[in-house]
This record gives sequence, C-alpha cells and structure tokens, in this order.
Amino acid sequence: MSPALQTALALAIVAVAAAWLAARALSRRRKPGCGGDCGCAPGDLKGKIARGGRG
Amino acid sequence: MSAPAPRTPGAAKAPVYAIVGNPNCGKSTLFNALTGLKQKVGNYPGVTVEKKTGTLYSQHGQPITIIDLPGAYSLAARSPDEAVTRDVLLGRRVDTAQPDRVLCIVDATNLERNLYLVHQVLDLGRPVILVLNMMDLAARAGISIRVARLSQLLGIPVIPCEAVNAKGIIELKLAISRHDLPLPRHAWDIPAPIAPAVAELQASLVANGGKAPLIARAEALLLLTDQDSVRVAGSAPLDAKTQEILRSWQARWEAQGTDWAGTLVSSRYEAIGRLSSEVAQSAGLSAQSLSDRIDAVVIHPLWGWVVLATVMTLLFFSIFKFAQAPMDWIGEGNAALAGWIRGLMPDGDLRSLLTDGVIGGVGTIVTFLPQILILFFFIGLLENTGYMARAAFIMDRLMSRVGLNGKSFIPLLSSYACAIPGIMATRTIEDPKDRLVTILVAPLMSCSARLPVYLLMIAALFPGPAYPIAGKVAIMVIMYALGTVGAFGFAWLFKHTLLRGKPPLMIMELPPYRLPRIRDVLLHMVERAGLFLKNAGTVILAISIVLWLLATYPKSPAGSTATEQLAHSFAGRAGHMIEPVIRPIGFDWHIGIGLISSFAAREVFVSTMGVVFNSESGGEDTASLRHALGAARWPDGRALFTPLVCVTLMVFYVFAMQCMSTIAVVRRETNTWRWPLFQTAYMTGAAWIICFIVYQSGTALGF
Repeated sequence: MSPALQTALALAIVAVAAAWLAARALSRRRKPGCGGDCGCAPGDLKGKIARGGRG
Repeated sequence: MSAPAPRTPGAAKAPVYAIVGNPNCGKSTLFNALTGLKQKVGNYPGVTVEKKTGTLYSQHGQPITIIDLPGAYSLAARSPDEAVTRDVLLGRRVDTAQPDRVLCIVDATNLERNLYLVHQVLDLGRPVILVLNMMDLAARAGISIRVARLSQLLGIPVIPCEAVNAKGIIELKLAISRHDLPLPRHAWDIPAPIAPAVAELQASLVANGGKAPLIARAEALLLLTDQDSVRVAGSAPLDAKTQEILRSWQARWEAQGTDWAGTLVSSRYEAIGRLSSEVAQSAGLSAQSLSDRIDAVVIHPLWGWVVLATVMTLLFFSIFKFAQAPMDWIGEGNAALAGWIRGLMPDGDLRSLLTDGVIGGVGTIVTFLPQILILFFFIGLLENTGYMARAAFIMDRLMSRVGLNGKSFIPLLSSYACAIPGIMATRTIEDPKDRLVTILVAPLMSCSARLPVYLLMIAALFPGPAYPIAGKVAIMVIMYALGTVGAFGFAWLFKHTLLRGKPPLMIMELPPYRLPRIRDVLLHMVERAGLFLKNAGTVILAISIVLWLLATYPKSPAGSTATEQLAHSFAGRAGHMIEPVIRPIGFDWHIGIGLISSFAAREVFVSTMGVVFNSESGGEDTASLRHALGAARWPDGRALFTPLVCVTLMVFYVFAMQCMSTIAVVRRETNTWRWPLFQTAYMTGAAWIICFIVYQSGTALGF
C-alpha cells in the first residue's frame, strides 16, 4: 500500500471518528446520565449498592 | 390541563397495577421478576425521578401494565421520589394515569413498619394485593406470619413470596390475573375530633377536585398529616376551596394548641400495632441473631474501622496479586498484534494510526480489564453479603461530624463507581443545601475511571514484580482515602460557609448477613466487563484516533526526530501552551497533552500516554507503556516520571474535575451553569494547589 493511499485512508478514519464524537456530543440523550459510557455500575447494581445488597 | 380521568377500579380490560413499598422491601426485584425485559425506563416530566413501567401477561394472555413507583415509607411525602408515589396513587399527575390496582410489597421481617404505607394505600379504596416478601428471612429470624388471618382481616389477597429466589411469583401472577379482586376491608376509627375536618375536606375534593369519594377521603387524611408540604412539577395543585378549608383547620388547631395531625398518625399506628400483633409472632426475640453477633464487631466504633480498613486492603491486594498475569498476557497480545500489522504493511500513516493510535490507545486501556474485573467481583461480594450497608453505617458517623446529611452516604458510595449515578442519587436528599453540598463533593470520591490512572502511575512507581505488593496496595488505599477525606473536608467547608444548615437525622436499615450468590456476583462482573470494553471500543477508540491525528499533524520537516515531530504537532503545541502552568507541579508538555485530553474522561489519560509515547518512539516498538514512561526525560536529561511526579499526578487526578459528563449532569441537576463552573474551578484549583505543595515539598526534601 502506497504512503499516499495510507494517508488518505488514515485521514478518512479520523474524519469518521471525529464526526461520530461530535454527533455524540451534540445529540440529546434519550436516557439521562452517562448512558453507561463512563464505566459506572448498571442500574440494578447501583440499586443493590443503595440497598446494601438486598433486592 | 386537567388530571386524566380515573379508570374504573378493577376494570376487566388492560388493568394498570402500581407497585408500592418501603425502600429495601424487594420491590424492584419483584418488578423485574414479573416483567422480565419488557420494561421502559424514563423520567416523570419536569422532575428528576425515574419512571419505570413494564408489561406482564396474565394467565389468559392479557397484557397488564405495571408501574414501579419510587420506594416510600409513607404517603406523607418528604422527598420528590415519595411525592411522585403519592401523586400517582392519588391521580394527581397529568402524565400518569391513576393505577387501577395496587401491589403492596412488604418486607416480612419488618411487617409492622411496612404496614403503615399499606394502611394508607388501603384507604384509597382500590383493589390491593399484599405481597409478603422475604419470607425466608422472616422464617430464619423466627418470625411467623398468619397469612390467611392477615388476608381475612384486610379483605385482600396476601401472597407470601421470596422474590430473589423466584418463589411465590406464580401465585402472585395468578392473583394479578384475577378479574374479581375484592376491595379492601379494613377497620380504622378516625379520632372523633378529626372526623369533621376529614369530612369537609373530602366533600370539597369531590365537589371541586372531581375526585372519587374514597380517593378524596384518603387525600383528606393525607392533607391533614403532611400539610401538602412537598410538591413536585407535574403534580396537579389543590383547588383553591380545598386549600382554604385546609388552612382554616390548621389555624383552628393551632389556636387550640392541639396536635390533631399527630393524633391521626398515632391512631393509625395503634391500628397497625393491633393488626400486627394478631398476625405476626416472633420467636426468640431476646436471643441475638447471628447478624447481631457479627454486627457487634463490624459496626463497633473502633473494630468497625479496623474491619473496613482490612476489607479495603484485601480488596486492593487481590487486584495487584491476581491481575498481573492476565495483564501481561493482554500486553503481550497487544505487542504481537502491532508486530503483525508492521509485518503486513509498509511504513505510513495508516500503519501508524493502527499501531500507535488504536493499539497504543485502546490496547493500553484494555490491559487494565483484569484489575477492574477483580475490583467489581469483590464489590459484588460485599454487596451480596450485606456488608456494604455496614460500611455505610460506619461512615455515617464520620459524615455527620462534617455536617453531611446521612442520606449523602449512598450518593457518595455510588460515586466510588462513577460520580454520575452518585449525583443523580442525591435526588433523595430533601434539603436543597445538603443536596448541593453532596453534589459538589461527590466527584472527589475515587471513581473507577481513576483506577487505570492510579494503576499506571503505581506501575511506573514500582516497576516490575521485585517490588512488594504491600507498597502498591498502600499507595492505592492512600489515594482512595485522600479522595474521601478531601470530600469530607470540602463538605465541612461548604457547610460552614456557602451552604450553612443543620443535617437531619438518617434512619438506616441493616439487612441480615447472607451467603453471597456467586452467580449474581459473576453476572455483574461480566456486565462490568461488557461496559468497560464497550467504552474502550467506542469512545476511547474514537478519541485515540483523533488524538493520533493531533499528535501526528502537522508534519515536521523531513529528518526531524520523533520527539521533534510530536512537539511540532497540534497536541504538542497545546501541551507546550499549558506547560508554564503545570511545570511548578512537576509536569511537562507530554503530561499536559494527557491532562487536556483526559478532560473528556479521566481514563483517557492512559490511552493518551499510550498514543503520545508510541508516537514518540517513532512507531518502531510498542514496548509496554510502563517502560516508555520510565524512559521519558526532560530536555536536560532528568527522568520525567520520578516517584514524586507519579505521586503528584495521582494526587492531581484525585482532586481535579476531569470529566465532561459529570459537569453536564451537575448542570442538569442544579439547573444552572453556576454550580458546575464553581465545582470545576474549586476542584481543579485545589488539585493544582495540593500538587504544588506535594511536589515542591518533595523536591525540597530531596525526593
């Protein structure tokens, strides 16, 4: 693969990634909060934490 | 807009059930057991309280809608959550139809206390099914409940149940499927002096509020006890005439100097006490249960702290002890993959993007997966056994001393996983000042996103297995403790300056200890792994790709070294721009790039270091990031990542507000930009000042 083609493909991938990040930042979330992206505990685990382990 | 017309009680078609119960009674478990995956989660419009609805199919195949209402001890609301429960049941919300029927869930081990809410719900005159949950725990505690007698006295179906073990669910579904649910029959004599007030309010609510007579009576009783004090958006207001009647009765009672509202509550408790003593018997009340005996140590003012410190130390010890081998395998896998790509492609931008950007960024962060899995396995164990509630109890003592509301504990505890659910959990705190203080300090608790940063710095601090695990564990415990102490310190400061006020008392339940269900723990651990990998494969991947561009372009003149190229790039220029600010705390422009990019999320610092140091090595090798950090130098040849700089960097991440999502959530929860901006300023300012003190003191002492 020629260096020029590599550069074109790499820049295209960067453009897609940047567009996706921008769209994600600008879109309104349907569900409030992080949507799980921050690596936080899922809802039922949070609930269990809050309840001290009881369902 | 008027409230939706109430449905006919016990309607034959598509009935709507509401699930109500005290917090901790197993309501959500039962809701999940009944509805499975057929759930919708949203918010009640205008109020930050979660609205969960689900669908259950009756034995005849008929869909039945179930609304899971927020937990409440009483319909006399004290928080927005409880106000939503009250308003839905009374048909006050314009966005939610009044339920046709009610499932009352009670904790069988605490029957009398749980019956207060049931008693109020029975007043509504709707068909009610009473679910006695946690019957296994009640039996183990020596409590026997005469289910048939309770059903007879209340006039409603009573279903014994163990929601966590899926016992009693079929019987409950059969009861829910019944078209002919009886109306409750419970006798409760309202004290005679109050009866005229109830009658007058009831008549007004029927005439002016369009309420059904029984609902109006229940609402009248409630108005006389909670004074309609907590209202939330979406709640239909009281009509003027009823408000006037309520105020006149309040004024009359105040003039008489009598507390009829208290009398009303007492008479309800007396009725519940009589009912409870007739249906529930407790054997061996005087004998201490096993849980009580364990608690004598675990929540002891001194030994409790010893146990907590031991548990935390064991947890971190396990992380370092058991994760090293799988981390090495992942690291070797990354290196092999990068080597394979290099063998496949000639030198060029695409190859650099894949090896330095994607593998350097995402591969580095995925290396920490084993440690995160181990952390959440142990957290799952602690939750499952019931120890977490004890940790809350111990911490509450400390929190009350710094003026934090006892209810702040759950939000702060949740913040150890992530500040966002922690901040959202502050909705249960009634006092606005206490809630704000908790929101302001919650991001100081060390969240899981900080973990990769701590681990990377600890790895740079103690490279290789020759160093004892105890040192690594001690550093980790200190970082977690530092965040906690910082949160308490700032809470104390805010409570004594900006947001003065007295914290209310907290009532906390300590569930009995139980053996952990390993399957549940493993399931949660797998869920965590999925979330972590999803995050690495999406957001962190995209950021790493963009960062690769910023670290690679614009290209420096031909013949430049890799370091000159990085310095020439957009990222390098940004790093250089902030270097004068961060140099006094020991950081150079490479670290500056990491600080800027990790404003998106803290763990991005690790992937950024992966991209930056892989780019600088010219893409010729993907030696582990740990070694790359060890080899990093200042222009004068001094090591960059000295032990002091590693510690300072960890301290920076303990205090700095490096999380865009948290800022956005604080903005939404406080409804203003003032508080998130203040929070960002105070946290980042504090981080810089503390790092300056640490670094300059350390340097002066010769570290």
